[in-house]
Amino acid sequence: MFGLLEAAGFTRVRSAVVPRFRFRKASTQASAEAYGVKAVMLTAKKPE
Amino acid sequence: MPPPDDVSAPLEDVLNGEILRMYQEVADHPTSEFHFFHGREAAELFEYAPEWLDRAPAGALNSFAGVGNPHLRSELQPGETVVDLGSGAGLDAIIASWRVGPAGTVIGVDLNPAMCVKAQAHAAATGVRFECREGRMESIPVPDASTDVVISNGVINLSFRKRRVIEELYRVLKPGGRLSLTDIVSAKQLSQSIVNDPKLWAS
Repeated sequence: MFGLLEAAGFTRVRSAVVPRFRFRKASTQASAEAYGVKAVMLTAKKPE
Repeated sequence: MPPPDDVSAPLEDVLNGEILRMYQEVADHPTSEFHFFHGREAAELFEYAPEWLDRAPAGALNSFAGVGNPHLRSELQPGETVVDLGSGAGLDAIIASWRVGPAGTVIGVDLNPAMCVKAQAHAAATGVRFECREGRMESIPVPDASTDVVISNGVINLSFRKRRVIEELYRVLKPGGRLSLTDIVSAKQLSQSIVNDPKLWAS
C-alpha cells in the first residue's frame, strides 16, 4: 500500500507497525504470521 | 499472485456480500466471539483515549472492529472536513467529530446502508454532526478536492482494487490534504486459495 500511495502522487508517506495488533484466535494469528500479515499506520499528504 | 485490480465483477460482488455479512454480524451480535478483537477491548488495545471510550455511545463502541488507531497521527484541527472511509458503527467518525468541533464536518462512507443508519443514530446520541453516505471505497461519494483529511481503519485491505481506492483518496483530498490510515498488509503474496475465498478475504 505504501508503494500505491507514492505512485498516486502522495508525498511524506510514512508507515509504522501497530504494535499491539494481533488476532484473537491462535490459529489465525499463526497463519497471519506465516504470511507476514501485520497492521500498519500510514500517513501521507497530497501535494499543495 | 497479488489480487488483481481488474478482478471480474462477479467475484467482487461475492466479496462485497461477504464483507456486508461479516461486519453486520459484528454490529448485530457484538457479544459474539470473532477471530479479531473488537469493541472496547480492541479500542483499548490500540490506545484510544479512555475519555473518548467513556463518552462514546455503547452501540458504536461495542461494534468497533478496527485494526489500529488512525487518530494517533491524524492531527485533526477544528473546522476541518474529514471523510471516514468505511465508517461502520461510527466510533472513529464520532471521535473525529469531537476533534473538528461544530465548525468541522465529518462524512462517513460505508458499503452497508443499514450500518450508515446505525452510525448516524449513534452520532445523534452524542449530539455531533455526522452524515453517512452509502458507497464503495472504489467510488467515494464525495466531490473532488473537498476533504482536508481522510481516515480509515481496517477497510482498504478488503478491496480487490486497492490502486483504484488510493486514486479515489487522492481525488477527494484538497491540495495539502492528509491521510491517516490503519490497515492490514501482507509481506508475502497470499495464496490463490485465500484470494479466491470470499470468507477469508473478508477476514
